[in-house]
Amino acid sequence: MHRAETVFAALLLVGAVLLIPQTLKLPVAWTPTGPGSGFFPLWLVVGVVFQMALILVRSLRAPVPPGRAAPFIERESVRPLLIVFLPMVAVISMLRYLGIYIGGGLYLAGYMIFVGRQRWVTVLLVSILLPVALFFIFERWFLLPMPKGTLLEYLLYGR
Amino acid sequence: MFGVFDNLLYGLGVALTPEHLTIAFVGLILGTAIGVLPGLGGTNGVALLLPLTFHLSPTSAIILLSSVYWGALFGGAITSILFNIPGEPWSVATTFDGHPLAQQGKPGVALTAAFTSSFIGAAVAILLFTFFAPPLAEWALKFGPPENFAVLMLAFATFAGLGGGDPAKTIFMTLLGLLLSTVGFDIVSGAPRMNFGLVQLQSGVNFIVVAIGLFGLGEIFLTVEEGLRIKGVRGRIGFRDLWETWKLFPRYWATIIRGTILGFWVGVLPGTGATPASFMSYGLAKQFSKYPGKFGKGEVEGVVAPETAAHAAGIGSLLPMITLGIPGSPTAAVMLAGFFIWGLNPGALLFQTHREFVWGLIGSMYVANVLGVLIVLTLVPLFASINRIPFGILAPLIVILSSIGAYATNNQVLDLWIMLGSGVMGYLFKKLKYPLAPLVVALVLGDMTEQALRQSLIMGQGSIAIFVTRPITLTFILAAVALFLLPLFRSVRRRPRLPAPAPAG
Repeated sequence: MHRAETVFAALLLVGAVLLIPQTLKLPVAWTPTGPGSGFFPLWLVVGVVFQMALILVRSLRAPVPPGRAAPFIERESVRPLLIVFLPMVAVISMLRYLGIYIGGGLYLAGYMIFVGRQRWVTVLLVSILLPVALFFIFERWFLLPMPKGTLLEYLLYGR
Repeated sequence: MFGVFDNLLYGLGVALTPEHLTIAFVGLILGTAIGVLPGLGGTNGVALLLPLTFHLSPTSAIILLSSVYWGALFGGAITSILFNIPGEPWSVATTFDGHPLAQQGKPGVALTAAFTSSFIGAAVAILLFTFFAPPLAEWALKFGPPENFAVLMLAFATFAGLGGGDPAKTIFMTLLGLLLSTVGFDIVSGAPRMNFGLVQLQSGVNFIVVAIGLFGLGEIFLTVEEGLRIKGVRGRIGFRDLWETWKLFPRYWATIIRGTILGFWVGVLPGTGATPASFMSYGLAKQFSKYPGKFGKGEVEGVVAPETAAHAAGIGSLLPMITLGIPGSPTAAVMLAGFFIWGLNPGALLFQTHREFVWGLIGSMYVANVLGVLIVLTLVPLFASINRIPFGILAPLIVILSSIGAYATNNQVLDLWIMLGSGVMGYLFKKLKYPLAPLVVALVLGDMTEQALRQSLIMGQGSIAIFVTRPITLTFILAAVALFLLPLFRSVRRRPRLPAPAPAG
């Protein structure tokens, strides 16, 4: 846990330092219309760098707790986390083709099979009916167009 | 100018129209369900519903969202008592005595005590709200950019000074939130900036998307990691429970008054909200009790104390939102983000320009609180049964709803990646004890802060002296500095630090 804290602080510090050039591209000094557009971001980045340096130094100087350190994450927890996370990445990457309804249905089905260990009937019912219900709520009722994806558009409108 | 009573009657009239009553009812039911469900809280619940309000009138929208918040406040108590799972961070303290009571075969008593004290806490807080809000707004109308900037500093300082977390991390999160708000284009010149050459980032990092990621997905990741098991007591409230519990209430008058005032005050302070209020109230009740040993073993007073404070704080957190445009809690921050979407400028002017909106909201607080307590008292078994939905269905469903909510705000796929990234960061931040609330509030207030700062500097011709030469500004700035220094002072005195919870709610 302690090492994770230090590493995380170091990464944030590096990220913040890398932001400085971004802000320096903008006018940071006084302009005819008052402070330039880079003025506020620059000082914020400087503040972030300072805070992160402080947290990092403090974390490095803190005594390491004796005994076997508690890990940042238990080994058996990694798998369930990845099962939630990786399919999300996959579905969002293929959103253009699958759309949110079909993609979401597949995500639901996959999760229910591999984690929820539901019966096939439940899986099929939930992962078909829920996206259909959502489709009607958002597209028809609230008129919020969601990405339908080429697949669903082909099925609905034949193009 | 209308008197407070005229306005209040008018507001009640607005809230009692059939349309608004229905909206409040729906909001309360949804909110209670959100409060009951683990992994869905008031903040992300409100964030998820925000896109649905785009087509509503601002008054209907705020009534819907605030009712969801009140519902979530009620709902959190149900799971705390029956399942020993706090549905919300502010109901953690309710588990201490609520669950033991339920295990002793008195779930009805614990639930009645929780709902009744929530109702009383909220009712008194609403009265305070009604009479405090107009004069505060009137006063705030005189504020210029330097005063606004000073108030914003005070808001950020309360996080660091009173938030209870690590001040260095709190300040970092505040700065990060402000920094994220600068992405997109410059508010003064309109020139693009900080967008890393991405056209889609031109419109800025959307606050709702980040909030859904941090609070929604982050919470899902944590729940998945911990592995969720639900074992609970069945709850139902009979008339005997009502009578038996209400008989006890006069005995707790001191705790109720203390909890309400403390809760309201803590709620009004930006950056705190219902969660610390509930813990503080529980602690005080225990300290003042003649039998502190009974706390934690099923003492009714241990349910009354946190619940009054949490509800009073929930109401209080809307006071600075409506009068100063500064949210008193992350949930209020999400609502404030809605103001911009509905085309309203938050702040004191609302009282003059949008009477229906402001007083409709205040009126609906009265209505929704009465309605809410009736709903939860009668529908407890129904809400408790929601927890029988297997987490294997619930988790992916929340993920899908989050994605829809995030996409709907701007209609761009990039927002889904931002949501996912925020979710991962939210998970890491939470594990490493970086407080999330300051980031969210700072992100909402970023544009306002920058504008106030730059306008002040223009007024002062580039000199920061403008912040010390105006009396109101100076007072706020001094208070802010004192709050920033408070943690430093505390660590010098080396008092044993209480494990304070992260601010949320």
